[in-house]
Amino acid sequence: MAFKRVSTLIFLLPLTISACGIRFSSEQDADRLVVYSGRSESLVGPIIEQFEDTSGIRVDVRWGDTPELAATLLEEGANSPADVFFAQDPGGLGAVIDMLQPLPDEILDQVDVRFQDPHGRWVGISGRARTLVYNTSSLSQGDLPTDIWELTAPRWDGRVGWAPTNASFQTMVTAMRTVWGQEDTLRWLMAMQANHPIAYEKNTPIVAAVGAGEVDLGLVNHYYLYRFLQEEGEGFPARNYFLQGGGPGSLVMVAGAGILDTASNPELAEQFIDFLLSRVAQQYFATQTYEYPLVDGVVTARELPPLAELNAAEIDLADLADLQGTVALLREAGVLP
Amino acid sequence: MGESLTPLHRLLVSAGYRPRIAAGPPRRLPILWLAGFIIALLLLLPVAYLLIRVLQADATTWTLIRSASTRATVLRTVALAGSVTAASILVAVPLAWLTVRTDLPLKRMWALLTALPMVIPSYVGAYLIVASLGPRGILAQIAEEVFGVRALPSIYGFPGALYVLTLLSFPYILLTVRAALQGIDPALEESSRSLGNGPWRTFWQVTLPQLRPAIASGSLLVALYVLRDFGAVSIMRYNTFTRVIYVQYKSAFDRASAAGLAIILVLLTLALLIAEVRTRSRASFERSATGGIRKASSVRLGRWRWPALLFCTGIVTISLIIPLSVLLYWLVRGLIAGETLQPLWQATGNSVFASAITAIVALLAAIPAVVLSVRRAGRWNQLPERLTYTAYALPGIVVALALVFFGANFAPALYQTLLMLILAYLILFLPQAVGSLQASLLQVPASLEEAARSMGRRPWTAFWQITFPLLRPGALAGMALVFLTTMKELPATLILSPYNFSTLATRVWSAVSEAFFAQAAAPALLLILTSSLPMAVILFRERA
Amino acid sequence: MSPNALELRDVSKSFGSVEAVRDLSLQVAEGEILALVGPSGCGKTTLLRLIAGFETPDSGTITLGKKTVADGSTELPPEARGVGMVFQDYALFPHLTVAGNVGFGLDRVPAKARTETVAEKLALVGLQGYAERMPNELSGGERQRVALARALAPQPVIILLDEPFSNLDADRRITMREEVRGILKSVAATAILVTHDQEEALYFGDRLAVLKAGSLQQVDTPEGVFHKPLNVSVADFMGQTELVTGEVTPVGIHTEIGMVPQKIDLPPGTQVQLAVRADDVDIEPRSGAVAVIRERQFKGALNLYKVALPSGQILHSLQPHTLILPSGTAVEVKLEPGHPLACFHNGNAITAESAS
Repeated sequence: MAFKRVSTLIFLLPLTISACGIRFSSEQDADRLVVYSGRSESLVGPIIEQFEDTSGIRVDVRWGDTPELAATLLEEGANSPADVFFAQDPGGLGAVIDMLQPLPDEILDQVDVRFQDPHGRWVGISGRARTLVYNTSSLSQGDLPTDIWELTAPRWDGRVGWAPTNASFQTMVTAMRTVWGQEDTLRWLMAMQANHPIAYEKNTPIVAAVGAGEVDLGLVNHYYLYRFLQEEGEGFPARNYFLQGGGPGSLVMVAGAGILDTASNPELAEQFIDFLLSRVAQQYFATQTYEYPLVDGVVTARELPPLAELNAAEIDLADLADLQGTVALLREAGVLP
Repeated sequence: MGESLTPLHRLLVSAGYRPRIAAGPPRRLPILWLAGFIIALLLLLPVAYLLIRVLQADATTWTLIRSASTRATVLRTVALAGSVTAASILVAVPLAWLTVRTDLPLKRMWALLTALPMVIPSYVGAYLIVASLGPRGILAQIAEEVFGVRALPSIYGFPGALYVLTLLSFPYILLTVRAALQGIDPALEESSRSLGNGPWRTFWQVTLPQLRPAIASGSLLVALYVLRDFGAVSIMRYNTFTRVIYVQYKSAFDRASAAGLAIILVLLTLALLIAEVRTRSRASFERSATGGIRKASSVRLGRWRWPALLFCTGIVTISLIIPLSVLLYWLVRGLIAGETLQPLWQATGNSVFASAITAIVALLAAIPAVVLSVRRAGRWNQLPERLTYTAYALPGIVVALALVFFGANFAPALYQTLLMLILAYLILFLPQAVGSLQASLLQVPASLEEAARSMGRRPWTAFWQITFPLLRPGALAGMALVFLTTMKELPATLILSPYNFSTLATRVWSAVSEAFFAQAAAPALLLILTSSLPMAVILFRERA
Repeated sequence: MSPNALELRDVSKSFGSVEAVRDLSLQVAEGEILALVGPSGCGKTTLLRLIAGFETPDSGTITLGKKTVADGSTELPPEARGVGMVFQDYALFPHLTVAGNVGFGLDRVPAKARTETVAEKLALVGLQGYAERMPNELSGGERQRVALARALAPQPVIILLDEPFSNLDADRRITMREEVRGILKSVAATAILVTHDQEEALYFGDRLAVLKAGSLQQVDTPEGVFHKPLNVSVADFMGQTELVTGEVTPVGIHTEIGMVPQKIDLPPGTQVQLAVRADDVDIEPRSGAVAVIRERQFKGALNLYKVALPSGQILHSLQPHTLILPSGTAVEVKLEPGHPLACFHNGNAITAESAS
């Protein structure tokens, strides 16, 4: 009878579930590394796999957005199972800075001091530059501003896309505060806001919107464009434009990694970060994700202007830790809700 | 008595039989009661977490909570929830009536197609609608090429959020109203007609008032959906409460302020729950238990069938066909460009496995709360059922972080196991199982179980052998709803799943966030397809 | 006398502040059919549910056969009591066939014996050939019989019938109750029938128990309850009874329609009430008489007249169909019971000394 089947099923369930629980239960195992990655699987999955293959170390990755993973780490506190936090931006690393341990010099020495924590608790893995992406059918290079202050001019009214909730954008604003000072930054934000910029959630939709002509110009990180060119072909009507005037508008930032205080396998964690800074991995970032390699001797993708040409050298990432102040300023300017 | 006990929402079976309240021997009560309260307490974990975080809040949080911008956010959120609900009613009630009570051609097909938009995750749906209907979307390009129209009106902000959320959530009302229409005693409409009321007046004065509880319960689901949605409002750039909470986490890493705001969201939910109970009229809408269920005759549409078909086609086109076409377009374009798609067997397996287990566990967990609330009198017995809703409007990230906090610090053995993830799903989606199961149980007379008891069955045996099989339609409906919402779930899956546990939803997310559109299209299509199957099963099981 | 199948001793049950059953004691002998009757809300369904085990008594003892099923310390669950129940709405399991329903209580019986019992019970209720039908394919009367067969199949100590005929239409009700009573008697079943219909109770019960506001008013044979109600409320409930106020005199009871020659052992001048039924009252048209006909109800063989007395008191009178009087006719009213009338003082019955 039908009800017999149903009840059998019901009574078997707890068994099934507990079986699954066992199957997926967390294990502590010596040759296993836990990485929280705020960088997406599509981008860094292959290089992590390569690390597993060459080192024989199993890497368990929790993929997510950098801020969510930072919040997760904060909630986990001392009981966090994570060994490494691989973040999209220094802001995420800054949020958990008290949970990170100093990295050994062998690692830190490979990267320019500009691209690491002053106390050596995280290190940059790959670089990305702030840039403008523009629609090639409505604008030519000659129409473009040399400085982001020009974007507050009336002719850009309603034509610019930005992502004020995005960490990279906020880091750029922090850089503005460092270089220009609090007041000028607020003035720029207010002037921009008066110019009706279109707000997006993050960089990808800005590039898509520029390509579609929804906005003519976008404030983004440089490397998203190349994904679109790959997907949609060279006909995709958008290109990057690196501001000639330099300053915060062409800030170079990094995706970075740090090791948790509570890491159960700090040695494996160091090995992992060391691998990310190896020639193989750096080459991967340069050619596959179109980012800037941060160690010497690795060639930047030919589409990109060399890192040295980007006029951003005067800003030290370590000075860009005050995210709270930036968020408060963005609120004051009415940019953030 | 029945009114105060009726479900907060009734899915698929809406006109309830009011059972006699059977107060069983009190000595056997505690087991059920205990089960109900353990489940209710688990569901209160997020609220407990929020309170813990808020207690650590400093002046910044309180300033933020008291600020004018927070008040404005409350108003914006309420305005959006109210408008989406109203628009959904306007879409869903006519569709329900057309697909249940008229001779509309291909009724079943329309019934299925109009219910399907609810399987589309909002972050995908909104993206697709921007891609198709946005200022420079596919439609605008066509408009430009064919008609020379340079710019379509912007869809961002309130109109876009209203549009997307309505198209993705109106099926909740459609399902409850369809069920209610099928349960209405045709004698009521017939007597109205014989008293001299025309069909139109009969609909307004007899049919519609009877549909009110179903409309209210479906509306509650829609409103709560709007409250906790992040995907659509962020893509449409409309600052609802959930989006502001996310900004707290994402930009400021300010967990205390986020918690403070989330508590306001919980309070908003409670207000909605109370409002929903109030909208139910004092009259009861039931049909006699012994009377056989007679099927109402179909209304002949005649010439009206053409506008009716146009309406159905229009809704299905904008809510289903356009988004699916964009996905197919991305997929085909990617394949032509020579992209190789990554295999999705494992992600599909994981999605289906986790969602199916969640659906079954949700059903089991719903039973004690529902049995207590329907079969036992007294305020305390109603409590577990009520408590299941408290966390229902919370954004996934809040529930996920709550479980991170409790799991990592108090249950490390369970942390980051599938069990923990399923618990998160349960907290997020249990009310859907509770609602439909409760509506079903209200239709099963208590005397059936008593008859079994008097013939020698223990209480649980009587329940499994008699009541449970009769609950099957409601149980299946509830499980299907939990299944498809679990399939779509993203934030809790990302944070709480076991390592290397990718689902279709996480694959879509991972690909879309890096603009791998072709790679996103395949899992998105697969996600929609797999979630549609249980939907089809529910609709085709409806009594013919 | 046969041993008791059921014994209740001092059973009480309250729901909140409402006392549903109060200090109730009752015995039902094996093979006996007891009709439990009373107005709605009198506690009769609660009493049934106490016996079946769906409610727990607050105090008192319930014994079924030799087993104490409920007292202060033990409380047997319904499934352990061996009580068969026929519900008002029949409560047939809609997802099981007729055979599945009838065999439901026989799950511990080997399959072969079960099939035989099911067939036997279906034959008993006259439903051979219905075994594979589903409940929704049956008429009301057929469902009723399936419910009875299902309750009888496990050979319960007692069968409880909760208003089983109330969902049937009038003519089916009469034939069904004859049929059901016949079936119960043919297997010598012990049964309690709960009803609010006094006529049904009079027909069905070997004995009647009259319940009011949770208390037993009277337990007696149908004739005893009908003719010798123990108190006003029993008299009132047993139907078509008017209470006529009178005063005790040495020769009888003086009422507004004359002297009733019934001697009462109470001091003269005491106010008492007489229970008067329609068959006790005779009328005769006479101009100048003070009583007036208000209405005539044609009952086929008989006419039932409604007569207003000067005080406003209404009496009913049964007359042959040949006597036809229009409304407004002045009539003389006579009490000619041919037996002592039930007489109450302060609501309780007084035994009549003699009637001549």
